[in-house]
Amino acid sequence: MRIPLQVRDFAGGLRAMAQFLIKSEKPHLFGPIESIVDTGSPTTILGMPDMKRMRVSQIQLIDLESRKEPHAYGGGQLKTKILRDAKLRFGEHFECKMDVQIPVEEVTECTQPTILGVDFMEKNKFKLVFDPAKKEAYFESSE
Amino acid sequence: MEKQELQLLKGFERDSRWFHENIDKLREQNFTGKFVAVANEKPVASDRNIDIVIKSVEKEGKNPAYIFIEFVHPKGFTLLL
Repeated sequence: MRIPLQVRDFAGGLRAMAQFLIKSEKPHLFGPIESIVDTGSPTTILGMPDMKRMRVSQIQLIDLESRKEPHAYGGGQLKTKILRDAKLRFGEHFECKMDVQIPVEEVTECTQPTILGVDFMEKNKFKLVFDPAKKEAYFESSE
Repeated sequence: MEKQELQLLKGFERDSRWFHENIDKLREQNFTGKFVAVANEKPVASDRNIDIVIKSVEKEGKNPAYIFIEFVHPKGFTLLL
């Protein structure tokens, strides 16, 4: 199986990007997301602009489990909580449930995008094929 | 429901594509350093503060959760993740 990705020139270079729908019941979260595929990030983290867009308030996050260690993120540190079993849907191609980190403290520079990390690839047994010269990228089953 | 979800995602992907293909034009039109909301392949709101953009989108009767909103970085700026 293949999930096609977009290769876009974003913020200084070519990036493999994925759009997906995120769904969660508690706290309620629903909407499309654009993410940067980042094999340098072990975890998937929702960007603060996307959190704001989906109007998730910090009060809604009170009951969620906190991640013990902060993330180094965009030159700063970010504390997150764990959104368990969020549903991620990639068009007609694929859907999965996985834990997603969500920021709990607003950082001064609030432009960081959502990151689709290695945990997504590991959980779903995907490998990433990324050919910047041909501007082609996709996830493919590694089994 | 499933069909509506797919349409929502397709519309978002279309506006994302428009944003990335027109990023230089947006810079020329003074959007650098601002968040821009794009709906139906047109910028519909912008500001340096995303909260203001979200409120503008809501005033237009749109749900910001479904609207593509992205920051226009200056040309030459490199974001290290």
